[in-house]
Amino acid sequence: MILESIVFYSLAVASVGSALLMVTRRNPVIAALYLILNFFCLAGLYLTLQAQFIAVIHILVYAGAIMVLFLFVIMLLNLGDERKLSDAISPRKIIAGGLSLALLLELLSIFVTGTEGLPEYNADQALQVGTVEYIGKQLFTKFLFPFEVTSILLLAAIIGAILLAKKKPD
Amino acid sequence: MVEQLLQSLSRFLPETTLTVALCSTVVVSLFLGRKSQATLFVALAGLVLATWFSFDQMGVSETIFSGMVAVDPFSVFFKLLVGLSAILILLFSLYSSEVQSTLHRAGEYSALILAMALGMFLMAGASNLLMMVLAIELTSLSSYILAGYTREASDSSEASLKYIIYGAVSTGVMLYGISILYGLTGATDFYGINRALTEESVNSVALLVSIIMILVGFGYKISAVPFHFWTPDVYEGAPITITAFLSVASKAAGFALMMRFFKVSFIDANAVGLPTGVWTSLQGFEWNKIVAILSVLTMTLGNLVAVWQNNLKRLLAYSSIAHAGYMLMGVVVLSDKGLAAVLIYFMVYLFMNLGAFYVVMLVANKTGSEDIDSYKGLGHRSPLVSVAMVIFFISLAGLPPTAGFIGKLFLFAALLDATWIWLAVVGALNSVVSLYYYVRVVRNMFLRDPEGNAEPILFSTPQLAIVMLLLLPTLFFGLFYSPMVELANASVMMFGIR
Repeated sequence: MILESIVFYSLAVASVGSALLMVTRRNPVIAALYLILNFFCLAGLYLTLQAQFIAVIHILVYAGAIMVLFLFVIMLLNLGDERKLSDAISPRKIIAGGLSLALLLELLSIFVTGTEGLPEYNADQALQVGTVEYIGKQLFTKFLFPFEVTSILLLAAIIGAILLAKKKPD
Repeated sequence: MVEQLLQSLSRFLPETTLTVALCSTVVVSLFLGRKSQATLFVALAGLVLATWFSFDQMGVSETIFSGMVAVDPFSVFFKLLVGLSAILILLFSLYSSEVQSTLHRAGEYSALILAMALGMFLMAGASNLLMMVLAIELTSLSSYILAGYTREASDSSEASLKYIIYGAVSTGVMLYGISILYGLTGATDFYGINRALTEESVNSVALLVSIIMILVGFGYKISAVPFHFWTPDVYEGAPITITAFLSVASKAAGFALMMRFFKVSFIDANAVGLPTGVWTSLQGFEWNKIVAILSVLTMTLGNLVAVWQNNLKRLLAYSSIAHAGYMLMGVVVLSDKGLAAVLIYFMVYLFMNLGAFYVVMLVANKTGSEDIDSYKGLGHRSPLVSVAMVIFFISLAGLPPTAGFIGKLFLFAALLDATWIWLAVVGALNSVVSLYYYVRVVRNMFLRDPEGNAEPILFSTPQLAIVMLLLLPTLFFGLFYSPMVELANASVMMFGIR
């Protein structure tokens, strides 16, 4: 139990820390690398929740495919350090900051005031959910329909991408 | 499992038709080459069939695909509404110079309109959080691209980019809200959420935060204030046909999803002593007060800013924001009468708003401008179309004897019934403001002399026939509204709710 807590807290601190570092870096490449670190920490957290499949997919898809694409685009565009256009504190920023703070406080208050009434799951259920077999079964029975709708969503996205990418001047 | 799937598929005919039509347009545009209207007609045929099959589903009430989608009178109503407006939009496209001048991309145009219609059909029936997000995404993704369809125009690209950024943020916030709601209830289908909330009381702050976050997503789809910032720019930059489609069908689908989500998830099934047709929310959770505030903000801002607009597309954009505000009033009252009023309003809104956009499109085809100044003296140059425009505007302002009056009348009646008097007063005051900017256009058309060339503008017979197709219902339903009211009253039935 203690070991589990140690793993959880170290991963949690690392993930929040890397997320903070990501948004504060000026160089986009370094920011992207911190994001990858963040993905690995999250994958570790999924592992502690017995969700092996999600953890592996998370690394493969996000840290592997999507982030590589990100880095390629950043390097192709040859972005330099980000420069701020203005440092002035505008009323808009103050309002946005205030609202974000209010949201943070609300969310914190939820954690503090307790988690009564939350649905409970037993350990066996949790163990089952993480396996590829279980996810596959669910995907092709209960969630077959959303799975198929995703394919149409991707078809629309492909058509749109082609439409936007065709650069022929008319 | 397999029998259940087959059973579901037989209830899924309209959507299957749309999917087949979507694939057909891609194939047809490959073989019949560029520069042809063939794909537009394929899409039109698909939509007519899908609408016909939805019509066939009237009276059915069940959920299909393991409770993912509901087929009930409520969803059938919105499918008909979306199908009808998509058909009209494709008819508009046959006469739109923006679409006709880019015929080499007509295949993609038709395919994306079909994808958008499919997304809205799913939104009308979605009864699961997962389906809700997927349907919204399918609709939004297609509309992002269509908004930037005339890529040559820089304002069109700007519109598309703004749309995507706002869309991505609002979907993100909505997903965060959904994850909190799932954490609280452990269910993704609306009925399961209702059951979980009935059985156990949950942390009220968490529930409130999650609902507000989910409202961001809905607010974005129906362009309610303060999630409306994309609306004027997108409506101005997109081709007029797409603007018209977004302003009616997209909004209708957003309202359908929102009404179903709130009613099914938060209805108190054990409440006693309520008159028929009135329901109440669980645990005294008053989500409708939040919606009331949104409604007031939306209609007031929409109407006040519309007064300053000089571009007719922008004016109609703000007017459509204001109309979303009026319709939200019907959601606030928690009664079937209120929902029926929203449905009536949508039927009316379909004809009058599409009509106004169609006239703007026809005039822009000829004059190349959507400026209010270019409407000076239009009454003398093209009397028939101008008179039609006046009637559409009178209807949008909600004056008798047009259908717009009936729409507002039922909304206010529902509000007064539920003793939301202050909201009704705000709504009535707003209608007065809206009259000002509609009349401003009418004054330009009839009381001002044309600037520069004052030759008559002539339109072809089919173009005028479409104007009549929209004009006659606007007048007819203003006088004989009982079929409309009966349809709306029959269509408020949602699956599994008494």
